[in-house]
Amino acid sequence: MARAMPELQLAISDFLLKLQRRQIEGSFDSAKHTVLLLRQVIVQHRASHSGQASSFIDAVKTVGARLVAASPIELAVGNVVRRVLHIIREEEVSIANNTEDEGETTFDSDDNNNSDDDGLPVLSAAVLAAANRNVLRAPSLHNLLESAVIPAVAIVSSSSAGDSEERSRSSEKNSKGWKLKHSIIEGINELLEDINNNHAQIAEQALEHIHQNEVILTLGHSRTLLQFLREAKKKRSFEVFVAEGAPRYLGHTLAKELAALNLQTTLITDSAVFAMMSRVDMVIIGAHAVMANGGVIAPTGLHMVALAARRHAVPFVVLAGMYKLCPLYPHNPYVLVNEMKSLSQILEHEESMEYIDAALNVPDLLAMNPSFDYIPPELVSLFITDMGGHNPSYIYRLVAEYYSPEDHSLE
Amino acid sequence: MAEQARMKAYYEHRAGHRALPDSASSAVTNEWLAQAEAALANEEPALPSNGSSSFSVIQEFNIWRSNPELAESVAAIKALTAVIRRSEAATMMGLEKELKIASDALKAWDETSISLSAGCDLFMRYVTRTSALEYEDIEAGKARLIERGERFGDISLKARKTIAMIGQDFIRDGCTILIHGFSRVVLSILKLAAANKKQFSVICTEGRPDSTGVEMAKEMVELDVPVTLIIDSAVAYTMQSVDMLLIGADGVVESGGIINMIGTYQAAMIARSMNKPVYVAAESYKFARMYPLDQKDMSPSPRNVYFQKSLPSAVQVECSARDYTPPQYLTLLFTDLGVLTPSAVSDELIQLYL
Repeated sequence: MARAMPELQLAISDFLLKLQRRQIEGSFDSAKHTVLLLRQVIVQHRASHSGQASSFIDAVKTVGARLVAASPIELAVGNVVRRVLHIIREEEVSIANNTEDEGETTFDSDDNNNSDDDGLPVLSAAVLAAANRNVLRAPSLHNLLESAVIPAVAIVSSSSAGDSEERSRSSEKNSKGWKLKHSIIEGINELLEDINNNHAQIAEQALEHIHQNEVILTLGHSRTLLQFLREAKKKRSFEVFVAEGAPRYLGHTLAKELAALNLQTTLITDSAVFAMMSRVDMVIIGAHAVMANGGVIAPTGLHMVALAARRHAVPFVVLAGMYKLCPLYPHNPYVLVNEMKSLSQILEHEESMEYIDAALNVPDLLAMNPSFDYIPPELVSLFITDMGGHNPSYIYRLVAEYYSPEDHSLE
Repeated sequence: MAEQARMKAYYEHRAGHRALPDSASSAVTNEWLAQAEAALANEEPALPSNGSSSFSVIQEFNIWRSNPELAESVAAIKALTAVIRRSEAATMMGLEKELKIASDALKAWDETSISLSAGCDLFMRYVTRTSALEYEDIEAGKARLIERGERFGDISLKARKTIAMIGQDFIRDGCTILIHGFSRVVLSILKLAAANKKQFSVICTEGRPDSTGVEMAKEMVELDVPVTLIIDSAVAYTMQSVDMLLIGADGVVESGGIINMIGTYQAAMIARSMNKPVYVAAESYKFARMYPLDQKDMSPSPRNVYFQKSLPSAVQVECSARDYTPPQYLTLLFTDLGVLTPSAVSDELIQLYL
């Protein structure tokens, strides 16, 4: 298969390299590129006739696992891979349901000998359809007692349905496969559109949250936040404190961008956050990722900001597109792997060389530059996503809606 | 790699945990109405057999309960299954009625047991929801119910396995776990973690008045896990060196809080005030439709409390054996439905009972 489509392999290895070299960084860019690549994977994939959906799933999983391994800290990559897997599973079920329905009606009209087969196939087809409807549902109390019986029913019904359908199925096969692929690609396009529009969707809600003459505090830079404030500025006048976000100082960029919108902007140092907090009405930040328990992965310094906000009872609001929602719990050390950035942002190489230990030949002066903080869910007041505002304790529900539990581990 | 393989096994296992038809959506049919009418007509002759079945159901329950591997709710469901098998009801409505009487008898027999009533409610709900609407033939319906009831023991064992798989991910090398009281689920998590060569140590509370913590400590010795036994009043003293509190539950209530052995509330409060995570391991059939607002909202379940010194008779002894821990003190629940936040519990219960 690798020989059959060299251009796809080329695209994959190119993207892998960019992820490894951190040439693609940030959850938005990496998510978007991942969707584009996975769409290419689906388009070029020639599914074998048996178990089409599963062959798509395998193809996406193999590529997905490589992408995640290339840059584990970009959680959005894994999220998007899982979203695409969920789309495939959903489309499979909806197509299976449709054909079951069509199947029943066509049997009566053009297949007379089928009626001799007694009522069993019809009954089991209905049961199968119902089972399919529930395939994507997470296990729940609701179906606890029913769970064990499905495999048996599914096997019985598929074999009995298989006999009567055999002839029609082989001819339908191609059109059905095409339909599946087509609807998967459509689903992926929708996902891509959602990712592209997420800033605008989140910004739309700005007026509900920002009121006249409020003081907003933030740290560092976030594209989502910039659009959010820009949208609010159209109707309201308010003031923004921007902490600079050492050592990358992206806060400077944001402050200039906001000032260019004629917003009253004040730049403060990171260490001044607590001192200024008593005057602040709301803290708004952009997240790197949101974990399944409602915890947030965000640039360093934000945990301290969250604690300062809690001390002064200031609402701490997190903006995050749905693609940043990660279905994993932060117990997993792989997930909490932090990215250590270049030391030169803090300490020049020459400077540290001045403090070399003569005996051991190692510098006595070291520097550390982690890029992310984990903010526990208790400190977050509200998430604003492209699907609306959510409490941290509601995040588990969104996870159940957008991901299939069997995709949580990509292996 | 081994970690990933385990994760995969777990999710495949969960994928196996799938559902059948959602019959709550199907409408009331004519057959169903006919059965309801027939049941009303049969009311008189059905009564005498009810008396005998409610008598035997408690015996049956006690037989099942004597098996140490079976949880109380599983025993309840097994006992109700036996009622179905013995039933001579000719209609689904009649059968339901008999079951209702039997389950009420079971619940009345031990009003303090939350898992018993949760198990009865779950099974009754299943009976009313599925059978009457789906099976026109009473014998087929009965057979299906009996089969489900029989399998419930397996479902329960499977649930414990799932929870062990989820829970052990939270146990890291070098961590110290505080355990209050004895719990089969907690034990299965620790067994799996120990089998996966995780290095951790355990602190067990004594767990008065039943001293169940001592049992737990014995089990830990068998697992070769370093274990320390403390008296119940030393929880705050040891909390500093603890990384997480891991507890089982008698019942999980609608608020997402839990009802468990006495002392759980204070242990959870201390853990919370020292910012240690509080994890609860509980099978989903322990979810109960209750909403206690405070400790006095539950019927007390008294136990004998022994004091070393003899007491003047004027001294009253508080002898309740369990307490209610509100959800704000709990971090996460490990259940066979996955890792849940306390607020997810009411969601599950609403899905089932609405």
